[in-house]
Amino acid sequence: MVELEAASTEEIAALSEKLLANPLIEDFEIETIE
Amino acid sequence: VNWGVVQFPGSCDERDALAACSRSGEARLLWHGDSDLGGVDAIVVPGGFSYGDYLRAGAIARFSPMMEAIGEFAAAGGPVLGICNGFQVLCEAGLLPGALLVNERLRFVCRQVELVVESNRSPFTAGLEVGESLSVPVKHGEGRYFAPDELLDELEAAGQVALRYAPGQNPNGSVRDVAGVTNEAGNVLGLMPHPEHAVDPLTGSADGLRLFEAASGAAA
Repeated sequence: MVELEAASTEEIAALSEKLLANPLIEDFEIETIE
Repeated sequence: VNWGVVQFPGSCDERDALAACSRSGEARLLWHGDSDLGGVDAIVVPGGFSYGDYLRAGAIARFSPMMEAIGEFAAAGGPVLGICNGFQVLCEAGLLPGALLVNERLRFVCRQVELVVESNRSPFTAGLEVGESLSVPVKHGEGRYFAPDELLDELEAAGQVALRYAPGQNPNGSVRDVAGVTNEAGNVLGLMPHPEHAVDPLTGSADGLRLFEAASGAAA
């Protein structure tokens, strides 16, 4: 699990898609903590 | 032929790649932070542990400025060879299909393996006979090639599986014994074995040199 601070969920989703996960072999879920 | 060998923080095989390339032309290092390829004719993305393999092997290196230039070079038909970590980087960059996972037995492997040439449509396998055998070493912990069955079927049908481990030689659990694949056009080849470590009979085999010589011949 990776905890990150970001301005929006979209920013985290873009980061996950671009860097943290290779969609061929991995998946990711985003949980928002206010 | 003027070869360019990319160096990332954590690369460790760039010197051997330079030596191998120098046997079939001129060769120079290209720093990952630059975006000028300097007019090279062919590129090697060498092995090692770029950026310490953090996140996934190759996941950070693919964002280097040099990789953007290599993407453009490859799109224009320039020959690009990714070896081991270089293969991982090219897969992460989307220049090659598939992904490399941790070895099936979760152990680093270092040994000589026999490869079978499956396709000679790449400039790096041009002139090699389909079905002939090459003796080349492997050394990696994350070399298990993976692609879904549908994609593998497509790659095989298109002749994009360039090299396979010989029967009984698969060191890492790669699907369908795949050792090296090309892009659709064939000008980008990635493989886990190290041809740059097999360029002199004194070190066990000179079969790896044939890939460099083939590319030099194709580019000449």
